[in-house]
Amino acid sequence: MSENSPDKLAIREVRLGATRAEGGTREVSYVIGGDRGLPFCGNDAGRRLVALEICDDPAIWPPVVRNYVGDLVNNPEDWAQAAERRYGADLVRLNFTSTKKRGFNAFADIASTTERVLEATTRPLIIEGSNDPQVDSEVFRRCGEAGEGERLLLGTAEADRYRSVAAAALAYGHLVIAQSPIDVNLAKQLNILLRETGVPEDRIVIDPYTGALGYGFEYSYSVMERIRLAAIAGDDDLAMPMISAPTDTLSIREVREAAPEEQDAMAVAWEFYTAYSAFVAGASVVCVRHPLTVERLKKVLEA
Amino acid sequence: MAMKALDIYKHLPKTNCKKCGYPTCLAFAMKLATGKADVEACPDLDPGAKALLGGVTRPPVRAVTIGAGERSVTIGEEFVLFRHEKTFYHPPGIMVEVSDTWTEVEVRSVVDEVRETVVHRVGQDLVLNGVAVRNESGSADRFAETVRLAGGGSSLPLVLISDDPTAFEAALAIAGQYRPLIHAATADNWEPLAALAKQYGSPLVVRAGTPADLAAITAKCAEAGVADLLIDPAPGSLQGYITVATEIRRSAIERTEPALGYPIYLDAGALGETDAAVATGILKYAGIIVTPRFSRASREAALTLRQNIYTDPQHPIQVTPGVYPINNPERDAPVLLTVNFSLTYFTIVGYLEASRMPCHLLIVDTEGLSVLTSVAGGKLTETMVADALKKFGVADLVDHRILIIPGYAAPLSGKIEDATGWKVMVGPRDAADLPEYLEKEWKT
Ligand code: SF4
Repeated sequence: MSENSPDKLAIREVRLGATRAEGGTREVSYVIGGDRGLPFCGNDAGRRLVALEICDDPAIWPPVVRNYVGDLVNNPEDWAQAAERRYGADLVRLNFTSTKKRGFNAFADIASTTERVLEATTRPLIIEGSNDPQVDSEVFRRCGEAGEGERLLLGTAEADRYRSVAAAALAYGHLVIAQSPIDVNLAKQLNILLRETGVPEDRIVIDPYTGALGYGFEYSYSVMERIRLAAIAGDDDLAMPMISAPTDTLSIREVREAAPEEQDAMAVAWEFYTAYSAFVAGASVVCVRHPLTVERLKKVLEA
Repeated sequence: MAMKALDIYKHLPKTNCKKCGYPTCLAFAMKLATGKADVEACPDLDPGAKALLGGVTRPPVRAVTIGAGERSVTIGEEFVLFRHEKTFYHPPGIMVEVSDTWTEVEVRSVVDEVRETVVHRVGQDLVLNGVAVRNESGSADRFAETVRLAGGGSSLPLVLISDDPTAFEAALAIAGQYRPLIHAATADNWEPLAALAKQYGSPLVVRAGTPADLAAITAKCAEAGVADLLIDPAPGSLQGYITVATEIRRSAIERTEPALGYPIYLDAGALGETDAAVATGILKYAGIIVTPRFSRASREAALTLRQNIYTDPQHPIQVTPGVYPINNPERDAPVLLTVNFSLTYFTIVGYLEASRMPCHLLIVDTEGLSVLTSVAGGKLTETMVADALKKFGVADLVDHRILIIPGYAAPLSGKIEDATGWKVMVGPRDAADLPEYLEKEWKT
């Protein structure tokens, strides 16, 4: 919360990442939220961040991105470094896709990859752990511990599996992504659950779930607008900044089946229109996968 | 604010004479209340009542038609600030720009592109709407000649952009009968332009930097007899556009400034980032978007965004329940259960088609709710699954009796086995994980 005028903010301020002075090792930390009204209207102050997604096992990653980034896909720390230095991302979202493998138990790798990616980057980091109750608790513990004090943004808590993420966030001083399936009331309920678990309200970021453009994006767009309006109207349980990750965007037919020479253009157009619209609907952080989309979004947001 | 039907009814003659085309005065009042009828249709209203009702019952944003014939585009007639409050009705017309300094070949290639671009999505044909001709040559004749090259308005709706009344006269001599949009009347030149718009019955854009100045000019144009107006707030940035467009739409809807109750015009090219500006216009209240030529990828994304945003949220697109063959399944192919929420359906079909894995997709009717929501809300039950298997004859399509259910429906797995007699396998929660899951787990 801002010390000066806590009453007037529609959206709570949330600090991502921690500098050395703040107990971490980042060169910068970001404050998102703090908005007072509708996005992009009048004195809207909200900071908007573009995250580039990377992963530790590229087997299920979109081919268009694998082709574009080449060898980087096999090396998360180089990929993360390129995201910041070459592609200009405000931050990286590291997806532990390796945990989706059947019988996954390489927990030590989760810790070491987290350490190496933190080492290779200077900005705040988002980590998307597992989404399998069997391994959640160990995965979140390992990456949480490896990044202790860094104020990582850890994802993803859902209504029926939030305890492991919340426990890791509480134990090691991180933030939580709270995802609900395109529903204002479920978003609110999950925030209440997290609060009851002890996660402070200024450590929660709402993920309303984002469908791909052409595949239900309009539901996500409207739910983001509704969450934002509810916060403006004073609903404290929805007054958190939002993160949008239209992760299916590059898997849709239009992108997959584009002619080879048009694949990058199609991927970027599709991601750009979706991501930009998510910002207009009120998202503070938007995650994309194609490096060229990062560049285009940054240019527009800085204009 | 809008008036309720019964309050409107109090002001009507109550003779039920049917001259308005409705069976009763009350029926007419109900149409008026939703902005779907015009008070002028009742010939027996006294002038006082007519003025009163006219002010509160016409749509807060006036409907304006640009162009003539099949490709004409009607915009405006909007009622809300956010689509979830009701719906957005008339998608913005997207007009691609040409200059009268270009060669004939250049102009024609844009015109052909606009005419031929069609994106087929979910049963709709999405198109670009027209051509905007910009007078940059300083010559009225060249302007008129380029308007002629652009089809003169007979095939595609046109926007005529200039600040020279003589150039408009020349262009309207060619295109005037096809309702081209005239851009733009300003504080300085509104009089001759309003006269031309009136003479040709053409819609007219009013341009000024503030809502107050816009309102002042639209009021004068309306008084001069031009009813079909648009407003161009001449924004300096994307944020500036969103701020002022929101203010204009809000004043129109709350009826605080009737002189702002017109569709908004956005020049996307003037804001630098064309794609961002086009998206902004689609999301935030533009009626007409004029854009420089943009790539095929951008066109498809823009048209898809426009379709999404103008989909009626009151009727979420639901998929018809049934059993759908994916990748030509045979009798040994897996049967996958899912819900009729379009987002779920399209996502799953996308991944399955990409995987080339043949399967049968069984869609049950959860009233358009997602798996998670429908399980939580009791809209997806074992009885429904059993009924659907029977109703769609799934047992006749395959030789096995195995049903793969969504990961989020795991709590129902035992009950579904009991109710159907089929063996249930719990699939992944994410559609993205389906291909891998099937590859590993599916063996008949
Ligand atoms: S024309 Fe007027 S008086 Fe006659 S039915 Fe219609 S509303 Fe009533």
